[in-house]
Amino acid sequence: MPKAFSSIIKIAKYTFTDEVRQRSFIVMFVICVTLVFLMRGCYHGNYTVNGQDLDAGAIVGSVSRATFHVIAVGVMLLTALFSMRVFRRDRDEGTQSSIFSKPITRWQYVIGKVLGLWVLSAFFMFILHAIIFLTVSITLKVVMPGYLIASLLCSFDLLFVVIAVLFFSLMMPDIAAFLCIMGIGIISFVADGIFAISHSPMAQAMMQQQGSQQDWTAWRVVYYLWPKLSGTQHFASSFIGSEGFSGFVYIYPLINILIYGLIFSALLFWRFRNEDII
Amino acid sequence: MIELNSVTKQYGSLAAVDNVSFSVKAGEYFALLGPNGAGKTTIVKMLLDFTQPTAGSLSVNGLPSTNVSSRTAVGYLAENYHISPHLSGWQYLQRCAELLDISRSEAADQCRRIVELVGMQGREHTKTSTYSKGMIQRFGLGAALIGNPKLLILDEPTSGLDPIGIREIRQLLESLKNQGMTIFLNSHLLSEVEKICDNAAIIDRGRLLVKDKISTLVKDGDTLEDVFVKFVKG
Repeated sequence: MPKAFSSIIKIAKYTFTDEVRQRSFIVMFVICVTLVFLMRGCYHGNYTVNGQDLDAGAIVGSVSRATFHVIAVGVMLLTALFSMRVFRRDRDEGTQSSIFSKPITRWQYVIGKVLGLWVLSAFFMFILHAIIFLTVSITLKVVMPGYLIASLLCSFDLLFVVIAVLFFSLMMPDIAAFLCIMGIGIISFVADGIFAISHSPMAQAMMQQQGSQQDWTAWRVVYYLWPKLSGTQHFASSFIGSEGFSGFVYIYPLINILIYGLIFSALLFWRFRNEDII
Repeated sequence: MIELNSVTKQYGSLAAVDNVSFSVKAGEYFALLGPNGAGKTTIVKMLLDFTQPTAGSLSVNGLPSTNVSSRTAVGYLAENYHISPHLSGWQYLQRCAELLDISRSEAADQCRRIVELVGMQGREHTKTSTYSKGMIQRFGLGAALIGNPKLLILDEPTSGLDPIGIREIRQLLESLKNQGMTIFLNSHLLSEVEKICDNAAIIDRGRLLVKDKISTLVKDGDTLEDVFVKFVKG
């Protein structure tokens, strides 16, 4: 294995193990697993829509998709919380000065940190999704292999969150970095919501009546250009149930988030290169 | 081994290091002396590429300090050393060895030898959160010795140690010097420096005041402390 790659893997491994040993991580993990176990009750309810009882298949599909989104958003928040303090802790505990006094470059360190945090958060989310997958498979005898594929695809959102939070945490207090990524996430979800509403027949009719096309155009720009955290999640969830892969147009959110990931990576490397090691 | 050419480090309008030039030869035991805020730690940080100079150049092991290979075979002990509290001293040393690509068996051998060398036998498997400042300093010095470095850069190595600890560390550094290791030391403990160093430089407010052999600096019944005060107070 080339030396550069081996150093990255080691730093990623230390990041993973150091984070897992944190008491706050263990507490969060236990709480999340407990909450996900409690969600299994949602599959056994009777649901009525417009006076008609939903059949078991529809319930499984809808509830699984809902739990998928809840878990993905929850883990995204936790990932931001874990990532925001990583550089500060490494500085305070002397890890950075210990690493950089050895022949290890800054980009190796940064990639190792990103990789460690990404693997950790993706693993965290995969376990929670796997609990739902197993619950549905065992108790309801419905196997949804797409659920786990969706979880893996959704981990690209987590990669973006890790990179962006690490970058923000170099420029502002940790909590501000967390709030920044929260803001990006909220705007992404709101923009997607507004875009969906603007495409509903009712909204189309209203727009034609009032001639308010311009109001939606601004949101349309935000919808296409803003980091598509929500869009990637929806793209991933399209693999759950019978929907399956719906064509390359639907990949746009994933491409968008990967491009933003690259942009923030470049900013992160540039910023960290000029950072003084204390 | 170490060379500084007209190095300046500016923080806004403040010159932490101002046009400093000196060199340290292989096998030398060199002390960089100066009052608090003189720029000693800034020089160390520039040597390790922790921060970049505003002007001038530094080289370590014949390579520019910005070249990552210049830090091959360099051991470093920071002032106010810290170790992740969830690790034991042993795990910490193992990590340092792993980062230097030392094989597992060789790392275990080196760690065992170093634990003995820094006098921490019996405490190496307890978490560092239970260690005193002096114990952390000893493990920090141990970590700097992993990989048998040729150059040791020590920033206040005896900080937090009791008189017995200071003496033990001094004896250890003397034995390392006798093995041919180059030692670059930042210290306030002038009596210790006087006992063990070959050469010293005194800096104040970022400027190099003097660099010479200790035997040349200290004469006529003076102590290094007298010389230091004379230069710093002007």
